[in-house]
Amino acid sequence: MFSDSMIIFRKELKRIFTDRRTLIFLVLLPLIMLPAMYSVMAKMDQAKQQDIAAYTSSIAFYEGRGNGDTAERFMEKLSAMNTLITPVDEDDIPRIRQSITEKETELLIVLPDSLQARMDDYETFDVGVYFNSASDYSQFAMGSVRGILQELNDEMVRWRVISRGIPEEVLSVFTVNDGDIIFDLAAEGSAMAKFIGLLLPFFIIIYLFVNSMKVGLDSVAGEKERGTLAVLLVNQVSRLSIVIGKMLSVMVAAIVGAASSILGLIIGSRYFASMFGETGGLSGYSMGGTGLVQFAVLIIPLAILVASMVIVISTYARNSKEGQGMIMPLYFAVMILGMATMQSGENAPAWMSRTPVVNSLLAMKSVFMHDAGWSSVLFASLSSCILAAILIYLTLRMFSSEKILFRI
Amino acid sequence: MLSVENLCKTFVNRKKGKTERVQAVKDVSFQCRPGEIFGLLGPNGAGKTTTLRCISTLIKPTSGDVHIDQYSVLKNEKEIRSRLGFLTSDMKLDGFFTPDYMMDYFGRLNKMDKINIDRMKRQLYSELQMEDFITKKIDKLSTGMKQKTAIAISLIHDPDVIVFDEPTNGLDVITSKSVTDFLLKQAEAGKTVLISTHIMTEAEKLCDSFGILVDGEIKELGTLKHILSSSSADNLEDLFFSYILPERRTQDVQ
Repeated sequence: MFSDSMIIFRKELKRIFTDRRTLIFLVLLPLIMLPAMYSVMAKMDQAKQQDIAAYTSSIAFYEGRGNGDTAERFMEKLSAMNTLITPVDEDDIPRIRQSITEKETELLIVLPDSLQARMDDYETFDVGVYFNSASDYSQFAMGSVRGILQELNDEMVRWRVISRGIPEEVLSVFTVNDGDIIFDLAAEGSAMAKFIGLLLPFFIIIYLFVNSMKVGLDSVAGEKERGTLAVLLVNQVSRLSIVIGKMLSVMVAAIVGAASSILGLIIGSRYFASMFGETGGLSGYSMGGTGLVQFAVLIIPLAILVASMVIVISTYARNSKEGQGMIMPLYFAVMILGMATMQSGENAPAWMSRTPVVNSLLAMKSVFMHDAGWSSVLFASLSSCILAAILIYLTLRMFSSEKILFRI
Repeated sequence: MLSVENLCKTFVNRKKGKTERVQAVKDVSFQCRPGEIFGLLGPNGAGKTTTLRCISTLIKPTSGDVHIDQYSVLKNEKEIRSRLGFLTSDMKLDGFFTPDYMMDYFGRLNKMDKINIDRMKRQLYSELQMEDFITKKIDKLSTGMKQKTAIAISLIHDPDVIVFDEPTNGLDVITSKSVTDFLLKQAEAGKTVLISTHIMTEAEKLCDSFGILVDGEIKELGTLKHILSSSSADNLEDLFFSYILPERRTQDVQ
């Protein structure tokens, strides 16, 4: 029986890996596209930041009534920014606000009346800064102005304290982690491991699923559609051999495709990490020998499970197109579970470690972070195998059903 | 020997909560002996393909049975498949591969060793005149070449019983002739051959005995001489049309 599965497996692999179009979509495209995509995204992001920083913001400034020198101090501080400050009258305020909504002006700063008198009375007053959160330039200018106003506020507090004859040291009671000592006690490389553990399991499950779909839907539903499956069924080969052979080929294609995508991700990681404020990419990261073994123990049953999911739908569907429609809800469910794993934190809820697919992703996350226990790895692997066996059994039942196999 | 015994096949369709039963084959029985070509004749939708699919183990009979020698399609699927070469027009070959690769592939799946596969390949390539296109992708072949390839693949394991559903359908006269000559040779070599067709002239030339299937029922069974003797028709085509065009039959009787 197993030899028949191997004959079918080899033929399916030959079909997948010698077909130029499949090869391009499965292997080459992720290898080239992912680095290219992340590189373009990172470069665009960088160019955008540079453009915003170089942009001369247009800021309207209403100094309030009777503020004189105090308003001057505000203006002086703001002029340190790369801005064009335009003083405006009270009557202009509605027009300027409209202009901000229309993204023609970035900010409007409105000082309250009688500032100096309020300051002398130690009153707290509010400076209004109107901005537009839908405009990158306005948001960036808002951030800069907020910093400058905070600085000015600190200066004014210092002035108040000093003017009362109190030493300015009273303003600071303690600092946190100020000095040359290294306070972050994370092991070397563990920050990168955390980053990888957070992202890679999600990408792995998505790539496994997408690649299984690429070849798996054609493997049975496509053959039904083309009328090539019946030729196989009238030969001396058991239905189990057909299912196993096809499932293994989908699994190998999914793993190869996922490996190619992950390799593309590693190549593009320098750009990708920079977008999330990390540096250096994934190239310096190492899993270690035990980690690699644990990873293999997890990924192979997981790939078998994903391939079985696709094969069961592919067997039920009349054709590839119907299969695509049927598999999409499952794909979204897997995506949501992958995202849930990303957000699960260090102590994931108990249901996650008991749910197939999710527990594999959680265990994989731990493997990447170098703190996976064998019990969780083996449990996840076993649960994937059991669910895959159930799905293979279901597929076999479908292969024995005329209604399903010949409904085209 | 191929023996079809009281074969019935009913399809159950469920649509919008309603169950519809379609009896495609009704109590069909016939036998086909070694060295003989049996022609199962009938119009489209008569139940020919369903009957042949039951014989091939692709679908299960609702009742009745089919035997090849002592083996039953209900109990000995594997033994039946090892003795049967089956081909229908709705069975296609994967166009991505070459005929030669597919011959090896199906040879291996039929538990043959390399020596036997090569022997059968040489024999079938020569008899079906396939040498010129065995290394071309099936997608690139003409209809006739594809049909020859499908025939060769269905016979790679040298089966005793050959069941072909409309083997010359859609072929040009030359390819059609080479296929019918090939089937005659197979019968001469002692194989049991069953074909379905609605081309009466071809059936008359090729077949030793006939079964006329209309609406899932066998209406006539036997040699040409036997079935013509019990009717007023002069030839097979007239007899056939008398069943599918009842007004013609009435005229004949009058």
